[in-house]
Amino acid sequence: MSKPDAVLPHERTGNRWHTEVEVTHGIGLHARPSVIFTRLAKSFPCSIEVAVGGSGEWLNGKSIVKVLGARIRRGTRLKIRAEGSRAEEAIVALGELVRRNFDEDRKHGRADGRPV
Amino acid sequence: MAAPMAAPSDHRGKAASSGRAQGPAYVALDPAAHSRDPTEGDARSALEAAVAQAVEDLRALSDRADDESAGVLDFQIEMLLDDEILTPAIERMAHGGGAALAWAGAMNAYIDAFTDGAENTDDPFAVKTADLSDLKHRVLDVLAGRPPADFPAGSVYVGHDLPPSLFLSHDWSRGGAIALTAGSAVSHVAMLARAKGVPMVIGLGELPVTSGQTLLVDGTEGQVRVDPTEAAQPSVVVPLRTASVTQPTPWAGGDVRLSVNINSLSDLEMFDPATVDGVGLVRTEFMFRSAAEALNEERHVECYRQIVERLQGRPVTLRMLDLGGDKALPGLVDGSPGSFLGQRGIRLLLAHPELARIQARALMRVAALGPVSVLLPMVTVPEEVAAMALLFIEEAERLARLNVPAVRPALGMMVEVPAAALTLDLFVEAAFFSVGTNDLMQYLCAAARDNPAVAPLNARSETALFRLLDQVRASAEALGKPVSVCGDLAGDPAGAARLLASGFRDLSVAPARLAAIRAMVR
Repeated sequence: MSKPDAVLPHERTGNRWHTEVEVTHGIGLHARPSVIFTRLAKSFPCSIEVAVGGSGEWLNGKSIVKVLGARIRRGTRLKIRAEGSRAEEAIVALGELVRRNFDEDRKHGRADGRPV
Repeated sequence: MAAPMAAPSDHRGKAASSGRAQGPAYVALDPAAHSRDPTEGDARSALEAAVAQAVEDLRALSDRADDESAGVLDFQIEMLLDDEILTPAIERMAHGGGAALAWAGAMNAYIDAFTDGAENTDDPFAVKTADLSDLKHRVLDVLAGRPPADFPAGSVYVGHDLPPSLFLSHDWSRGGAIALTAGSAVSHVAMLARAKGVPMVIGLGELPVTSGQTLLVDGTEGQVRVDPTEAAQPSVVVPLRTASVTQPTPWAGGDVRLSVNINSLSDLEMFDPATVDGVGLVRTEFMFRSAAEALNEERHVECYRQIVERLQGRPVTLRMLDLGGDKALPGLVDGSPGSFLGQRGIRLLLAHPELARIQARALMRVAALGPVSVLLPMVTVPEEVAAMALLFIEEAERLARLNVPAVRPALGMMVEVPAAALTLDLFVEAAFFSVGTNDLMQYLCAAARDNPAVAPLNARSETALFRLLDQVRASAEALGKPVSVCGDLAGDPAGAARLLASGFRDLSVAPARLAAIRAMVR
């Protein structure tokens, strides 16, 4: 599997960082990827929200109920935004996680993608 | 014979279920000493504690599990840790209702939100409803706690009263008996004891006995002997009503349908299905010992499926949960004698549609397996039947969307509230009628059947009951709808004879009463 681009494009508006990434994982954010995504999100102190494609509704990215309920399927453009402490770090880590297909091909990897 | 430690002493009470049995006493704790329902008081903290406990249990499981299983368990843990999942349940509690009901209702709504939008059942986002159901039941199990401690098989239960749930979970196959210091011969537990052939004496007042002392219970004479001197006979169950007064003359007036009433799955072993015309009444409220079980659709399906299969094609009439009154369900419905005139039966089901919907779905799934009809308990006005019929239509559509095989069964109603009995002609939506004589009698004579001070008025109000029954039968006939009698009256040969004379041709009785009534009508 080829390595994704070194840095995920992301930008800042005021105190808020945001990025956008295409979901390429086999199914999308079903149960297991949602667990990995929200666990990583909860490891950051900042607020994290996600939105799907053209829908203007921002959902709590730390809530598996919200993330799973959004039915984020393969091919969706997933928007992520964060505000507060370590916001930039958070959106890059989460965006990269989606790009890496949630590390699901690596059985024993850490959820945040860093080496064990 | 060796001299006994203590001289035998006799105590008079009232007969509630005939037969004689001897065994060691089991003296139950005072009811006040029983632990209270954990959902009483602060329902919110009870739910939060149950969720925390479930998370802890899941973590322990996940630590031991393989990768694949751990993934499923981790998903459940994340769901429980998400405040979003608790919020709707907490909102529901604000409108009343215990923690179990609020949790089940909120989770069902959440599961529905997943299934309603799913294009098909192969949708990976829809498949996860199984996990959500598992999650729901895990928390319900914690909320319900453990059922009350059972007592040793073969012993004589001594206490103020005996909860029906404890009676039903106890193993009576090794004999035993019941001696109550209070209680009533027309209470539900007395009815259960008669159906099972367990000797029972009530109204003993003070009974100076400690656990382990030998007791001889004579449920026919209404007497209990402490430390009997005669050689301990095995605690045999003597056939019921051997001392029955006059045997009524056999019925010669034509065909009579004789069905059986079922209170528990073990009742299925008490009769030969080939000898009955079907099951006239399944008291489903006795099949679930906790809120967790009653809110578990699969558990309902499994119980009903066993009954339908055992009956080999004969019709089965399942009554929806008749909770309230003296029939409680810990964590869901508080039982109290005072609530006989309160929210029970269909009133409670319509007030808690989450519970009714679970049962309706299970009933329709089982109706796809064999001839099933459904009885609605405690109906007072026609609008209640219409509301429940609508609920069945809605759930049928939901099952159809999920491609779950289901059949909408005929909906009949219990005739046990005098207001309904007097206006039966207005109940055009009910497909059939079944008269519950026990409740109809107590409501007719305004005498609670579990209050020993007034219970005898029930038996003395038979004239009023039979006048009303004449009218019920005539109204059903005018509507062209079947009417049966499933109360205890039908299981008493003298009562059955009067019912037949009044024109009833469809009786349903407890398994233990089948032989006596069959001998009369065939």
